[in-house]
Amino acid sequence: MIRLKHVVLGAVGLPIVILLGAWVGFFNVGASSGHWKVTAWFLQLAMRSAVRTYALAVDAPKTLDSRGLPAAAGHFARGCAICHGEPGEPRSPAVMRMLPQPPDLALTVGDWTDAQLFRIVKHGIRFTGMPAWPARDRDDEVWAMVAFLRELPKLDANGFRDLALGGSQPTAPAALADCTRCHGGHGGGRGDLVPALAGQKEAYLFASLQAYARGDRTSGFMALPVTGVDPADLAALARHFAAQPSVSADSDQVPAEVIGRGQQIAEDGIPERNVPACSGCHIGSDKNPLYPRLDGQHAAYLERQLKLFRSESRGGTRFWHIMATAAQRLTDDDIRAVSAFFSKRSAGPQ
Amino acid sequence: MSANVGLFLLVGCAFCFFAKSIGWAAADELGEPRATALGLTIAPTTLTAPQPDNSAALRDPGGGLSLFLRNGCGACHTIRGTNAHGTIGPDLSHLGSRTAIGAGVLPNTEEAIARFIARPDLLKPGVRMPAFDMLPQTDIQAIARYLKALQ
Repeated sequence: MIRLKHVVLGAVGLPIVILLGAWVGFFNVGASSGHWKVTAWFLQLAMRSAVRTYALAVDAPKTLDSRGLPAAAGHFARGCAICHGEPGEPRSPAVMRMLPQPPDLALTVGDWTDAQLFRIVKHGIRFTGMPAWPARDRDDEVWAMVAFLRELPKLDANGFRDLALGGSQPTAPAALADCTRCHGGHGGGRGDLVPALAGQKEAYLFASLQAYARGDRTSGFMALPVTGVDPADLAALARHFAAQPSVSADSDQVPAEVIGRGQQIAEDGIPERNVPACSGCHIGSDKNPLYPRLDGQHAAYLERQLKLFRSESRGGTRFWHIMATAAQRLTDDDIRAVSAFFSKRSAGPQ
Repeated sequence: MSANVGLFLLVGCAFCFFAKSIGWAAADELGEPRATALGLTIAPTTLTAPQPDNSAALRDPGGGLSLFLRNGCGACHTIRGTNAHGTIGPDLSHLGSRTAIGAGVLPNTEEAIARFIARPDLLKPGVRMPAFDMLPQTDIQAIARYLKALQ
């Protein structure tokens, strides 16, 4: 018969016994024998339930944006495939003996909803080795990864390589190959959300790379390639892409009145809303070399950056807050128009 | 007791005011001939002699105008006779002849203009102009010197 005395004794004694067991090293942390069945069951239950519950707070878009696929695929190849496998590549036996074994995502991604995948990619999973997304305020990148994960089961080896590595030159040095994977061999930017680097101002490119390396400008996609790269190499990469001939990026049709509105904002600003003219900083060869050239840049990239500036989620060079101040005065329509205008503006010499 | 506190506050305020007025007096002197003794390279004639609009604005011996345009100031400010046509901020065509700047909170001296360019938000709460303290101090001073010379 259980008495109150026993309950109290158990409540006090059991934690002490467990602590003592941990202290003398009773619990085997070796991965060789795997978990007990009951432990594995419990951990799975806890993990799946937590993802399901926390994903309730995630506001998933109705359709996933496919414009970020090349960058997301490139990131997957560089950062994720080593554990989760990629089409046509057998995983390392070392990875297969990890505890828990990382899932082959092509097979398991269907078990999760978009919101649940977002939750896992953004926050990682404790005790499993699955890391959180390197940039906390870049949900747009996390959604790009989710969109890619949905594509993954449909990709064969060639399809995956084309999507992930389409721009790479296998012979290029590693640091450059890291760039061209997303920015293309000639720096034109693969996918509308990846900026064209060709012909950009060298000082701006170098300052931006340094901003990524310092964490002043956050991006999970950029965090991997810039980490640990020698500053002299960053300078060389900036020089390389600045010297590439600039190419006109977008070919999609935009109504003329949208471009006209964009031109008006770019050249005259919106005085009644205190929006300065973009041209004051971004048009003309006599401008500060840390102010980027925007001519011929991808419209979708410009739009994304302006919105990040507007929500103060984007740092950059030491001048970033000037752009943030201006962007906060822009509506979505203004941003669309002005981005379209610059994407169509000739990238030729001024 | 409360009399003591009142006295203390009064002395404190007086001290602050005194300290401020000394700072401003020192700033005022920068524009005077004594400035050369302080190591500044302003020719007093540029500051005092009124000049016709356009030619004065385009005179740019210290590079202040090109720095002004290069850093995008012209997107918000107008200086007649130059490429600065912005209408969001105040027209600076005759900044040098104003008695005060920053909506009257600062005396119109080169040093005060430089302080305003660097951190307008500290001097004029709610100001729409962003801070330019990321510019090298020498650039800020060159721009301030140019603006002060606009009579």
